[in-house]
Amino acid sequence: MILAAARYAYPNAKVRALRSRRLTAQDRHFLLEARDFSSFLAYLATTSYGPVLPDLEDGVSDPGILERRLARSLMEDYAKVARSLRGKRQQELVLALFSRFEAENLKVLLRAMFSGLEKQAVSHLLYPLGKLSALPWDDLWACNNPAEIADLLIRNPFGQALRHAIPQYNVQGRLFPLEMALDLSCFQRLRQAIFGLRSRSDRKAAKRILGPYVDILNISWVIRLKIHYGLSHEEIVNYSLPGGDLLTLSHLHRLARAEDISSFLEQMPRSLQKEVQEVHEWDDFHLHLETWFLRLLARFFMGPPFHIGIEIAFLLEKEMELTSIITLLEAKAQGLSSEEAEKRLPEQLSMVAYV
Amino acid sequence: MFRPVKLTRLTIQAPEDQISAVMAILGDLRLLHLIRVEETHLGHLGYVAHIDTSLLEHYDSLLARANRLLRDLGPTDPSSGIRKVPRPDKAVFRLEEDLARIETEALEPLERKKKAKNAISEHEALIARLQLLEPAGIDLDRLDDLKYVTWRAGLIPEENLNKLEQSLVDTHHTLIPIGRKERRAVLLAMSLKEDEEVLLRALKSAFCDPLELPPGIHGTIEKALDRLSDELEHLKTELAGLDTEGAELTRKYGTRLKYLREEILLARQLLKAQAKFGQIDHTYLLTGWIPVALFEELKKRIIKATSGNVLVDQVDPKDIKEVRSGILKIPILFNNPMLIRPFERLTTLYGTPSYEEVEPTVFLAVSFLLLFGMMFGDMGHGAILCGIGYYVFRKMYRYIDYGIILMECGVSSMIFGLLYGSVFGMENLFPALWMHPMDEINRFMVMSAFLGIGVISLGLILNLINVIRQHRYGELLSTSGLAGALLYWLGVGLVARYLLSGGLSPFEVIFAKVAAGALIILMILQRPVRAVLAQRRKEEKWRHLPPGFGGTILESFIEVLDDLLRYLANTVSFVRVAAFALTHAGLFIAVFSLADMVRGVHGGGLFYWVTLIIGNVFIIALEGMVVSIQTIRLEYYEFFSKFFRGGGKPFQPLLEEE
Repeated sequence: MILAAARYAYPNAKVRALRSRRLTAQDRHFLLEARDFSSFLAYLATTSYGPVLPDLEDGVSDPGILERRLARSLMEDYAKVARSLRGKRQQELVLALFSRFEAENLKVLLRAMFSGLEKQAVSHLLYPLGKLSALPWDDLWACNNPAEIADLLIRNPFGQALRHAIPQYNVQGRLFPLEMALDLSCFQRLRQAIFGLRSRSDRKAAKRILGPYVDILNISWVIRLKIHYGLSHEEIVNYSLPGGDLLTLSHLHRLARAEDISSFLEQMPRSLQKEVQEVHEWDDFHLHLETWFLRLLARFFMGPPFHIGIEIAFLLEKEMELTSIITLLEAKAQGLSSEEAEKRLPEQLSMVAYV
Repeated sequence: MFRPVKLTRLTIQAPEDQISAVMAILGDLRLLHLIRVEETHLGHLGYVAHIDTSLLEHYDSLLARANRLLRDLGPTDPSSGIRKVPRPDKAVFRLEEDLARIETEALEPLERKKKAKNAISEHEALIARLQLLEPAGIDLDRLDDLKYVTWRAGLIPEENLNKLEQSLVDTHHTLIPIGRKERRAVLLAMSLKEDEEVLLRALKSAFCDPLELPPGIHGTIEKALDRLSDELEHLKTELAGLDTEGAELTRKYGTRLKYLREEILLARQLLKAQAKFGQIDHTYLLTGWIPVALFEELKKRIIKATSGNVLVDQVDPKDIKEVRSGILKIPILFNNPMLIRPFERLTTLYGTPSYEEVEPTVFLAVSFLLLFGMMFGDMGHGAILCGIGYYVFRKMYRYIDYGIILMECGVSSMIFGLLYGSVFGMENLFPALWMHPMDEINRFMVMSAFLGIGVISLGLILNLINVIRQHRYGELLSTSGLAGALLYWLGVGLVARYLLSGGLSPFEVIFAKVAAGALIILMILQRPVRAVLAQRRKEEKWRHLPPGFGGTILESFIEVLDDLLRYLANTVSFVRVAAFALTHAGLFIAVFSLADMVRGVHGGGLFYWVTLIIGNVFIIALEGMVVSIQTIRLEYYEFFSKFFRGGGKPFQPLLEEE
C-alpha cells in the first residue's frame, strides 16, 4: 500500500490537476445554449480548449478541421499522464490505449494511399499525436502500398496485424480488412498490457474499466455492422474486440443473430439490460451505455486512489468529453436547437455538473 | 593553370535542315556552354526553338527498349565510349535497325528465361503451401470427391481461432489445426456444401490467408510434393540451359548494346539542348561559350559539313556590352593538370572564381598537401592513406577525385614522415632528415608561423593581381591592397630581423615608424577621401556612407584597426600546424604507453600488438579527420579570404553525363 501510494502520488496529483480543467456545468449550459456555431466557438475559446482552437478571426468554420484541433488537448493529456507514470508496464497500458489514435491515423494514411491522395490533402483528418507516438510517420507516408507499411512496422503490433490482413485485402480489394486488423490489434495490445501489469490492484482496476469499455464498443459494433453494414452474424463475431468483461463470444453471437431491439435486449447480460431497458432505437444504445460508463468512471475517483485505474478513467472520461464537444460542434454547425443537441449527448454532459 | 580557359562567345545561324549536322559536331566537341536564347532579347520576343517531340519520343522508346535488353542480359563490360556523336535525325534509323536486329535474336530466349523463372517461383510457392498441409496426410482427390462436404485450408492468426469457432457454432463444421507458422495456425476447415458461403464468410472475417491449390494437384500431398519437386528440378535444369544461352547473348551483344544506349542518350541530350536555341521561321540561332582555341576547328568542321550554308561567328567578350556591365558572366572552365584537378572540388565548395580572378586551385592544392603533411607526418600512416586512396580510386568511380586527394595526402604524409623520422609513431627506426617535432617544439612553432606568413603573403600577392586585373585600383591603398601588404611585410621583416640579429638599429626603428605611420594614415584616409570625391560625383555606390567627413574617418579607423589585428590573428593561426603535428606525436606516446601497460599481463605480447593496431587505427581515423578539417579551415579563412571573391559561373558542357 505504501509502495503503491509512493508510486501513484505524483501521477494522481497530476491527473486530478488535469481533471479540474474539465468543462463545468456552466460551460455545459452556455455551450448548449450558444446561438450559433460562431458563438459556440467563442465560448469554447474561454474554456480549457481555448489554447488548441485556431484564431477565431481566421474564420475557421469547418467542424472537420476543428475536431482534430480539439483532440490536441487530449493528446497532450496522454503525454502528460504517460510521463508522470514511473513503471514501464503502467506506461505501456497508457500507450496501448493511445495506440487507438495511431491506428486512426494509419487508417487515414491507408485511405489516402488507396485513393491516391497526398498527405497534405488529408492532414486535417489526422490526430495531432505529438511526440508520444514513436511510429516513423515520415517513412510511413513515403510507403507505396500496405505491404511496405507492414514491413516498416514489423516490430510493432500494427505491422503483424497488417501482415496477417494483407491476404484478405488482396482477395477483397478493399481496405476494410486492414482497418479492422488495426483496430483489433490495438485492443489485443491493450489486453496484453493489462495482463502485463504486476500489481493485482492495477490489473483489477484496469479490467474493471477497460472490460466494460470493450463491452460497450462491442455492442456498438454489433449494431453498426449488423444494421448499417449488413454483415452476417459469423462475420460480426469474428470482428468483435477482445478483452470484454460482461459479454462473452456467445453473448455476441446471440446479439448478432437478434432480429429486433427487444430480442437484442433479451440477449444482453442482465447487468447491462437494466441500463438500456428504455431504449427504443438502435442509435440510442450507445448513448445509454456511455452514460452508464461515465458513472462507472466517476466512481473510480471516489474509491481507493493508488492504482492505474485513476489515470485510465481520467483519459477515457476526457475522451468522452471531447466526443461530446464534437457532437455539439456538429449540431451547432447544422443549426440544431439546444434541445435537439442535448438529445445527442450522454447524460453526464447534459445533466450532471462536473464540479 | 592560373587562369581559367580563355573563352569566346560563339554564335551560329543554321537553316532547319542543317541543324542536326551542326548539333552532331557540337556534341562531338563537347566543350560548349550553351546560353539559353530564352534569356536573351530574342527569347523575350518569343523566338525560341521547339524540340522535335516526335523524334524525342522515338528516342525515349529506343532507350526503354535498350534498357530492358541490358537489364535482362545482365551486366556487361563497359563500352569503349562514343567516338563520334550521332546526328539525331539520321542516327535514329540506324539505331532502330540495330536494336531491332538484337531484339529479333535475344527477345525470344529472354522471354523463355523469364517464363522459366516465373514457373520456378510458382512451383516453389506451391511446394511451400503444400508443405504446410503435409502433416495432415490429406488425399486431395478424396476431399474433392466428397459429395456433401466442402473444405478450405488456410492460415489464421491464432488469437482468432476461438472467435472463428464461435462464429460457426450454428453451422455443422469442423476446424482441424494442422500446424503453425509465424503465430498463425494452419487450419483445415470443413462444412456442409450448403453452408459453404457461411464458412467462407467466417474464414474471411477471421483474416484467413487461403492456401489455394491450383487445379491439377491430385492424390496425396506427399505424392504431389514429389511430383512438384521433380518438375522444379526439371525447370531448374532448363533455366541453367537458358542462362548459358543468355550468357552467349550477353557476350555477343552486351558491349554493342551499351554503345547503342550511349548513342541514344547522347542523341536525346542533343535534342533536348535544342530547347536552348532560338528560332526565326526556318532558321535556328544558337549561342554559347567555347574555348578560343577550338573556335577555328569548329568553324571549319561546320562549314565543311554544311557546305557553307551555316554562319559561324565569334564575338570577343570585351565587345559584349552585357559582359562589360557585369549582367552576363563568362563561365569558368577550369584548366588544371590531372593531379590538381580533384582539388577543384574544394575550390568550388568555397565559390566559383570569376573569369577575371586568379584561378586558385593550384595554390590550394600545393598548400593543402604541405599543411596536411606537416600535421600528419608519418611514413606508415601516409602509406595507409595512400592505400585507401588507391582503393577508392580503383573501385569507387563516383569518388575518384577523393581517391586521388587521399593518395596525394598519403604521399605528403610519407614525405614528412621521412623528414620527421617517424613510422607508425616509432621514431628510432631511421634518423629524422629534418627534426623530431616533439624534440624541437619552439622551433617548429616558429617555422609554422613563418609558413603562415608565406601563405598569407601569397594571398596578398594574388589579391594584388586580382585588383589589377579587375581594375579595382582604388583598393590598392586599403588594408587588403598594396598598402596593407606593405605594412604586413614591414612587420614581418622587423620580426625576422629581430629574431636573426637580436635587435634593430636606430635607423631601422625610425624607418619602420615613419613607414608604418604613413601607411596607416594612408589606409585610414583613403576611404573617406574617395567617398567625399565620389559623393561630389554623386556615385550611387557611396551613397550608403554616413554623412560627414569625421564619421567616415572614425569608421575607417576602426576598420583599419580590425583588419590589421586580423593579419596578426591569421598569422598566429598557423601555429596550429605545429600544434596538430605535436598532437599526432603525442597520441603515439599515449598509444605506446597503453601498449606497455598491457604488456605485463598474461598473454601481454598479443595485447601489446592489438593495442598498437587499434591505437593506430584510432589515430588515422580521428587525427586524419581533424587534420583535414583544420587544413581546410586554414585554406578558406586564412588564405582564400585574402584574395578570393568568387561569384563566377561554372562552365556547363553541352553533353553532361545522364
